[in-house]
Amino acid sequence: MLLSIGRSLGWRLAQAGLVAILVGVLSFAMMRALPGDMIFRIAAARFGYDNVTAENAELVRSQIGDPAGISAFLGWIAGLFRGDLGTSLVTGETVLAEIAHQFGATAELAGVAILLSLLIGPPLGLWAGLHPGGWFDRATVLLASVFKATPQFLLGLVLIVVVAIGMGLLPAAGHGEARHLILPGLTLALGLAANTTRITREAVVQARDSDWWRFARWKGLSERQVVLRHGLRHVAVPVLTLIAAQFVALMEGVVVVETIFGWPGIGHALVHAVFHRDVPMVQGTALIMGLAFVLINALADIAARVLDPREAAQ
Amino acid sequence: MFRTLTLSLLMAGTALPAMANDGVLDVVAPFELTGADPVTSGHVFLKMDVTETLVDADAEGRLVPGLATEWKSSADGLDWIFTLRDNVSFHDGSAMDGAAAAKALDWLRANGGLLAKAPVAAISSEDQTVTITLTEPFAMLPAMLAEHRSAIIAPSSFAGGPVTEVIGTGPYRVTEFSPPNKMTVEAFGDYWGDAAAIDRAVYHGVGRSETRALMAESGDADITLSLDPASFTRLKGAEGLQVRSAPIPRVLMLKVNSEIFDQATRKALSLAIDRAGIAKAVLRYETGATQMFPPGMAGWHDTTLAPLAYDPEAAKAALAEAGWLPNAEGILEKDGKPMEIELLTYPDRPELPLVAAVLEQQFAALGAKPVINSTNFSEIPAKHNDGTLSTALFARNFALVPDPVGTLLQDYAPGGDWGAMGWSNGDFTKGVKAMAAGTAPEGTREDLVATLHEEMPVLPIAWYELNMAVSDEVSGVVIDPFERTLGLASVTWAE
Amino acid sequence: MMPRCLGLAILAAVLLFAFGLPLVNETDPTAQSLLNALQPPSAETPFGFDHLGRSMSARLAAALRLSLTIAFVTLVTTAAIGVALGALASWRGGWVDRALVLFADSIVALPALLIVLIAGLILPNQPLAFWAGLSATLWVEIFRLTRAAIRAQIAAPAVEAARLLGFGPIYIFRTHLWPELAPVLRATFALTFAAVVMGIAALGFVSVGVRAPTPELGLMMVELLPYWREAPWALLQPVIATMATLLALTLIAGGPKV
Repeated sequence: MLLSIGRSLGWRLAQAGLVAILVGVLSFAMMRALPGDMIFRIAAARFGYDNVTAENAELVRSQIGDPAGISAFLGWIAGLFRGDLGTSLVTGETVLAEIAHQFGATAELAGVAILLSLLIGPPLGLWAGLHPGGWFDRATVLLASVFKATPQFLLGLVLIVVVAIGMGLLPAAGHGEARHLILPGLTLALGLAANTTRITREAVVQARDSDWWRFARWKGLSERQVVLRHGLRHVAVPVLTLIAAQFVALMEGVVVVETIFGWPGIGHALVHAVFHRDVPMVQGTALIMGLAFVLINALADIAARVLDPREAAQ
Repeated sequence: MFRTLTLSLLMAGTALPAMANDGVLDVVAPFELTGADPVTSGHVFLKMDVTETLVDADAEGRLVPGLATEWKSSADGLDWIFTLRDNVSFHDGSAMDGAAAAKALDWLRANGGLLAKAPVAAISSEDQTVTITLTEPFAMLPAMLAEHRSAIIAPSSFAGGPVTEVIGTGPYRVTEFSPPNKMTVEAFGDYWGDAAAIDRAVYHGVGRSETRALMAESGDADITLSLDPASFTRLKGAEGLQVRSAPIPRVLMLKVNSEIFDQATRKALSLAIDRAGIAKAVLRYETGATQMFPPGMAGWHDTTLAPLAYDPEAAKAALAEAGWLPNAEGILEKDGKPMEIELLTYPDRPELPLVAAVLEQQFAALGAKPVINSTNFSEIPAKHNDGTLSTALFARNFALVPDPVGTLLQDYAPGGDWGAMGWSNGDFTKGVKAMAAGTAPEGTREDLVATLHEEMPVLPIAWYELNMAVSDEVSGVVIDPFERTLGLASVTWAE
Repeated sequence: MMPRCLGLAILAAVLLFAFGLPLVNETDPTAQSLLNALQPPSAETPFGFDHLGRSMSARLAAALRLSLTIAFVTLVTTAAIGVALGALASWRGGWVDRALVLFADSIVALPALLIVLIAGLILPNQPLAFWAGLSATLWVEIFRLTRAAIRAQIAAPAVEAARLLGFGPIYIFRTHLWPELAPVLRATFALTFAAVVMGIAALGFVSVGVRAPTPELGLMMVELLPYWREAPWALLQPVIATMATLLALTLIAGGPKV
C-alpha cells in the first residue's frame, strides 16, 4: 500500500511539473493573442478612468517594457526556479503576496462552503438512502434538483435579503471577520450539498444491496450499527472524490458569489488580471490554481486508499 | 446536524450583531484599491482623510490653506513659494518639512502625478518652504496641488522605488491595507489639527452597486457612495438611512471623431438625442443637459445659451442637408460610405451601457448604423490615439482640479483622450492657455463656453449628480461636489 | 421514469416558447420605448416590459434561443472530441493512451475560467466565444467516461472475437461499444448541456461574453438586478427560464434509480 501511494505521488509530482510548464506557456500565449495595446490596459488599471492618457501609457511603457515579449517569458520561467513569480504590472506588489491574500480569501470561503455542505448533504443523503422511495427520498431528490438549477447569485441575493436585511443577523457583504463568511459560504454550500446528498444516497442504496451489508445484518447488527461500522466508510470514498473534484471548480466558480458579496478572491483576481493584461498575475494565478488542483487530487487519492484498501489492490 | 448548523448561525448572529454603531465607521464605495501609490488610489486616501495636500479646496471650489499656510508667486510668475505649516508630522513620526514635501512632489511628478502636466522646471526647498520653479507662467499651479495625486506622502513610503506603504499626514492613519477591497484606519494621535472624532474607520471597495445598496440597507455601511439610479430610488423609502445627492461638475457626454463627423453632422446627431427621456427613464434625474456645463459651475454655465433641443425630424433634415442620404436599404450614406457609428463605452459606471442602448435606438431611427461596444475604458484613449475611434460615451469630471481650466487644457486645447478628437479652434486653444497662465482678458471664459456650444466637439448628454446613502447613526457627513472629501474626521455618532 | 418524462415535458415547453414565439409575435427584442419602461405584465403583454421598455417576452425567447443553440452546438462539439479521443485512447492503449490522459489532466488543471475569459476576449461580442471556450474545457469529462466505459468492453470476449474475425474498428464500435456507452453518456450529455447554459449565464453576470443590447439570460439578470424590488417580476423571468431549463436537464440526466 505504501508503495502504491509512493507511485501515485510520483505520478502527481510529474503532473505538477507538467502543469507548471503548460500553464506558463498557455497563459502567456493566450495573453499574447489578445487584441489591443496591452500598455493602455495596464495604464488604465493603474490610473483609473479620469486619468489614463497617452502620456501615462508611455510612462508605463518606459517602466515595464513589453510585458508580452519573449524576454518577459524567459524571465518568468527563470524566476519559477527561484520560487519567484514576478511582480504585478498594475500594483507593483509581488505576485506571490497578492495571490497569498486573494487565494487565501477564496480558500477560506471554499473551505467553509465545503464544511457547510458536508453538514447538510451526507446526513440528508444517508437518511434518503436508507429509505429509498419514501417521501423523504423524493423530497430530497426534488430539492437537490432545484438547488442545482438555482443561479448562485439569486441564492446569494435571497440570503442577503432574508438573513441580513430581514432578520438583521449577519452582515450583507464585506470581508475580514468570521461572520462575513457565513452567507457567501452558505450560498455555495447549498449548491454543493445538492450533489453530495445525491452521491451519498446512491452509495448507501448500493451498499444496502451488497453482500457485506446483508451479511452484517444477518449476523445480528442493527441497521444503525451497520451504518456506523461499515456504511460511513463506504460512503466516504465517493463523497471525498466528489469534493476533491469540486474544490477547484469551486475556486473559480466562486467568482459570481465573490462579486455579490464583495469578497476578494482568486476568481476575481483572475478576471481583473486578464482585463488589465497583468501577465505575471495571470500566469501566477493560473499556476497556483493548477497546482492546488493536483495537490488536492493527490490528497483525495491517498485518503481514498487509506479508507478503502481494496482500491489499492486494483 | 441541522440543529447544530442553525445554532451556530444564530450564535454568529447574536454574538456579533451586524449593527452599524459597532464603534467603527464603515465607508463603502465602488473604487477598488490598486496600490499604496497616491497616483493610483490617492482619491481613496484623500477621502479617508489619510493623506493631505498642500492646497485645500472648500465646497465652492475656492482654494484654501492645506499643509501650506500661504503661497505666493514671483513678479514674473515663474517662482511659486509655498510656506508649510509648522509641527506637522507623518504617520511614521518623521517631520513634514520642506525637504520631505519637495521630495514627495518630485517623486509624484516623475511617476504620473498631475504635476507632470504643469510646466515645472525644478522643485527646491528650504526649512519650511517649497519653491516650484516654472518654465512659463502657470496660474493653475495651486489648484493642481489640491488634487489627490499631489498628496504629500512621507519619503520613507517610497524609499525603495515604488510606493509600498501609505504614510500621510491626515487625521487617520492606515493600520491594515489589504487591496483590492479593504483598508482599515485609526485616529492619528499626533495630528496637527483637531483629532478625528471616531477612532476607527474601514473603507470597503465593493464593485457591484446592488451589493452596496444592500449593505446600506442592512446597516453594514454607514456611508455608501455612488448608488445606481434604481437603488437610489429604492433607498429613498428605506428606514435607518438617508439618501443625499448634489450636482457635481461631471458631465456624461458623447465624444465624436470630428474627422468622420463634421460640425453639421455632429449638430444633427445632437438633435436626435432625447436628453430629457434619458434623464427621466434611465438616470432618473429631473433634467438632461441643456449645455455643456451644469448650473452649479458658476461662471461656466451660461443661462443665455439656447438649450440643446430634441427634434428627430429636424435632425433628419439637417443630415440630408449635410449630404447624408438614405441608400437602397434605408441606411444613410455620404460619398458612398454608410453612416456607421460605434458607441464605445464601459460598464464600470452602470448607467453608461444603458444610455448607449438608448442612443443606439435613437441613431438607428435616423437611418444610421450604430453598434454598441461596451468594453474596458482604456479602449477610449487607446482608440483616440490610433485614430480608429468613432464615438465614445463616458463621464468626464471637469473639476479634477477645482478649476475646470485644467480639464479644458487637457481635453480641448485642441484635443485630448477624454475630450475633442480631430477638432481644433485656434482662438479656443489660445483662450484656454491664457486662462491657465492667468493672462486672459475679461470675457474669455464666456467665449470659450459659447464656442463649445456652437461647434460641439463633444455632445453633452446629462449632468451628473453625486449620490450617497448615510446611516442615521452618524452625523456630519459632507457631500462635496468636487469629490475630494467626506469630512470623515469630523463625523460623529448621532445622539 | 416519471422524473425523466417531466424533464422532457419542461424542456419541450421551453423549446416551444423559445423557437415558437417569434413565429406568432415578431416584436424586435431590442426595440425600446422609454414610455413603457418597467410596465408590469398585462393582458396584452403577459411578460411586461424591461427597464428600457423592451418587450420581455421577445427578449426572453431570444435569450433562450441563444443559450440553447450555443449549448447544443457545444455539446455536439465536445461529444465528438470526447468520444473520438476516448475511443482512440482505449483502442490503441500504450503511449497514445498515456499521452491523451496526461493532456486531459493538464487541461483540467488549467482554470476553465481563464480559457473561457480569453476566448471571450479574442472573439469579442460573439457567441462563438462561448462555444470555443466551453468546448475546450468540457470535452475532458466525456473523454474520461468514454475511455473508462470502452476499456472495460474492449477486453470482453465478444469484442475479442469480433476482432479475431477481422471486423473493422468502426463496425466493432457501432455494434459492441456504442450500446454500452450510450446510456452512460446520455446523463453526461444532459449535464454538459446544463453546464453550458449555467456557464453562459454566469459569464454574462460577470460581464464577459455577449454585450448589451443582445438578450442573454445572465446579462438580462444583471440588467434587471437593480430593479429587483421595483419590478421583481421582471428579474424573475430570466431566472425562472434558466431554472426551468436546468431542472429539465437534471431530471433528464436521470434521477437516482428507485
